[in-house]
Amino acid sequence: MFSFIRRRTYTSALPLIIVLLGVFLLARLTGDPTNLYLPESATPEQREAFAQANGFDQPVWTQLVEYFKGVLHFDFGTSLRTGESASEMAFRAFPATLQLAFTTMLLAVVGAIVIGCWAAYRPNSLADRFSSLLSMTAASIPDFWFAITGVWLFAVLLGWLPTSGVDSGILSWILPIATLMIRPLGVLTQVVRGAMVSALSAPYVRLARSKGASDFRVVSHHALRNAAAPALTVAGDLAVGLINGAVVVEAIFGWPGIGKLMIDAILQRDFAVLQAAVLLTAVSIFLLNILIDACYALLDARVREPAMA
Amino acid sequence: MSTSTTLRCQMMAVALTAVTVAASGCTVANSRHGGYDPNTLRIVLAQEPPTLEPCESSLTSTGIVVRSNITEPLIERDPNSGDLQPLLATEWSQTSPNQWMFKIRDGVTFSNGAPMTAKDAAYSIDRAVNSDLNCNVDGYVFGDDELELDTPDDSTVIVGTKTPDPILPLRISFVEIVPTGTSMTEKVREPVGTGPYAIDDWEYGQKLYLKRNDTYWGEKPAFAKAEYQWRSEGSVRAAMITNDETDIAVSLGPEDGAEDLGVPFQNNETTALRMQATEPPLNDMRVRQAINYAVNREGIVKALFRGLGDPASQLIPSGVVGYNADLPLWPHDPDKAKQLIDEARADGVPVDTQIRLIGRTAQFPKISETIEVLQSEFSDIGLNVKIEMMDTSNQLLYQLRPFPEGAGPYVLMIMHGNQAGDAAFTMDQYMLSDGAQASYGTPEFDKKIRTAEALTGEQRQDAFAKLFAEEPQEIMSMAYIAHMKGILGKSPRVDYTPNSATGDEMRLSEMTPAGSATPTVAQ
Repeated sequence: MFSFIRRRTYTSALPLIIVLLGVFLLARLTGDPTNLYLPESATPEQREAFAQANGFDQPVWTQLVEYFKGVLHFDFGTSLRTGESASEMAFRAFPATLQLAFTTMLLAVVGAIVIGCWAAYRPNSLADRFSSLLSMTAASIPDFWFAITGVWLFAVLLGWLPTSGVDSGILSWILPIATLMIRPLGVLTQVVRGAMVSALSAPYVRLARSKGASDFRVVSHHALRNAAAPALTVAGDLAVGLINGAVVVEAIFGWPGIGKLMIDAILQRDFAVLQAAVLLTAVSIFLLNILIDACYALLDARVREPAMA
Repeated sequence: MSTSTTLRCQMMAVALTAVTVAASGCTVANSRHGGYDPNTLRIVLAQEPPTLEPCESSLTSTGIVVRSNITEPLIERDPNSGDLQPLLATEWSQTSPNQWMFKIRDGVTFSNGAPMTAKDAAYSIDRAVNSDLNCNVDGYVFGDDELELDTPDDSTVIVGTKTPDPILPLRISFVEIVPTGTSMTEKVREPVGTGPYAIDDWEYGQKLYLKRNDTYWGEKPAFAKAEYQWRSEGSVRAAMITNDETDIAVSLGPEDGAEDLGVPFQNNETTALRMQATEPPLNDMRVRQAINYAVNREGIVKALFRGLGDPASQLIPSGVVGYNADLPLWPHDPDKAKQLIDEARADGVPVDTQIRLIGRTAQFPKISETIEVLQSEFSDIGLNVKIEMMDTSNQLLYQLRPFPEGAGPYVLMIMHGNQAGDAAFTMDQYMLSDGAQASYGTPEFDKKIRTAEALTGEQRQDAFAKLFAEEPQEIMSMAYIAHMKGILGKSPRVDYTPNSATGDEMRLSEMTPAGSATPTVAQ
């Protein structure tokens, strides 16, 4: 298993470096931040001093080398906008996103298993149609619309939930999670349903039934185990998307996460913060991918054995 | 698959979730609960202040929190009358053509308990204007001018200028006073000031708390605490007002849904199109006039802004020194515009050259629709116009000198706010031939501006008013659209009347619980 993880680490490191390189270069293609940070009447000397102080007067490749040197020393630079350490800002925002993403995924996975299994167990039943409707709805509703409508309905009209923020305990979580969850829930439900339909018609399930196993045991202990692998893969991909920053949800609900931080950094050409935030999310996604692969290898010997050979 | 393998996998998943939630829980779950506290004023802004550095207070996102709340200037401008009022200085006078004297108020202390003296005032002016901090207030208010400072005693500050400056007190009203010892080499994020409030806590990314400054020299503000939070979506800010989650919501649009709780008010912003008058075909006066004739200002204000604004004939609104109340709107006459374009074409002006119509995304409500309407109007008179919407950083490349080389002819949507209340700040930026945001000018008009800037009182008002009338005849680098109005969301439990400065400087001490007496500031 360790050699499998080591191999995945090596193969994932290259994409990580490419991502960092790409963000560094693309950020600099978006324009000079000087106008955003200096007074309107700044003199050429002041502009030159600003560029010099922030290293923008150096060739891009020199800036790149300096950046990678800084990364090796865990120095990610200082925010142009706030004057704070870029890494501190990224580390402060990231837990809020992680918490939201993992809670969302946990609920989406549980919900998808329940609805998907139910739909597969009774094909063409009401449950099956409901799961199809859920998937189509999830695919077609823009999260922005869903969030604003949720605020209007549940906060303004009914007064049950807060509009936004993180002050109202568990109630603060409901709308952000519902907005984030609808898409993963729809996708995962269809994956679980499809995998379960195949599994429930497999010979080992028929054998289990013939041995007198109950319906619940057949579904949960025999079919679901084998249907779990594809669902795990898709859930991993969806979780990666959430960790990358739930930008819309964070912006609308005032959730102090990394997606909002990245968007603000892009708009303000705050390169150091953008690079620190991307590096942090990229490393997290890289670790998450390794975990998913490891879990997948544990589930499926065909994946595990070539690596261990 | 063995049972032990499945168990390991399940345990890993559970452990991963538990560790993540536990590790990250500290951030969100421990946030302070808001709730309703009658002693706390709750305000929602459009964005988190990047800093509370007082010398950056001419930036809206900083100034709206800092100015006259945490720190104070020597003098303040009354946003309604435009008059200068004493604050930390009790009196001021011009002692020689190049020198002004300010008398400092006795008995004022900073929120840290230290007394405020003339040395602090001189230090603050020196820090904001003469240092290498690149303060925004320096660029916006003082330009390249350095000031000489002297403190003959603890209650007198002498400010010297290289050339006579009749509006130096107005400029000084932009300098917030900080204690001696505040860094001269680095901007401070959480300043100490003499204002009615002091910073209590700043949970970066979430909330900013102010508490009443118990050592404040003036009337104590009605609310003991203030709590700022920020939401980028206008509709969410409006929903927070209607849902009683906040008392004040800034920067609302007409369609955000604040309904009866939205209070419209005249702000000091004016929207206009700035034409790059050095580039053909915009270098032809007839083309620039045609663009002006094509703009249906009244239609835009009525249909797009829902009446929240007034069609504009100049770049400053009423209340600013130099405003010309007699200047009529440029008429909307598409036929005349077509005729001018045809004449220019007949004379060989390349009117078919593509003109870029550049706007800044989300600069004001309905900007995209406004830009589309303008493109349609310009196309109807025979111009070839292409829309380009940009984010702030890219749009500023076209707004501020030096302009991009080879950009071709472009018309730029601008929104100018004259916070200072004097036309000199507008003329310097947009009308001088080398103004930081000017696309065109002439030496003759520059001379007239400089002459007007040297005047005072009625003469100054009349001179600037005359210049605004002459500008369309001599320069015409602008097509004015509207003096804008803002909407402030206000809870029924708070008494507050927004004014033209509210968007830049929202004084918490002017807010009181509904029905209570309005506090007065000691003079």
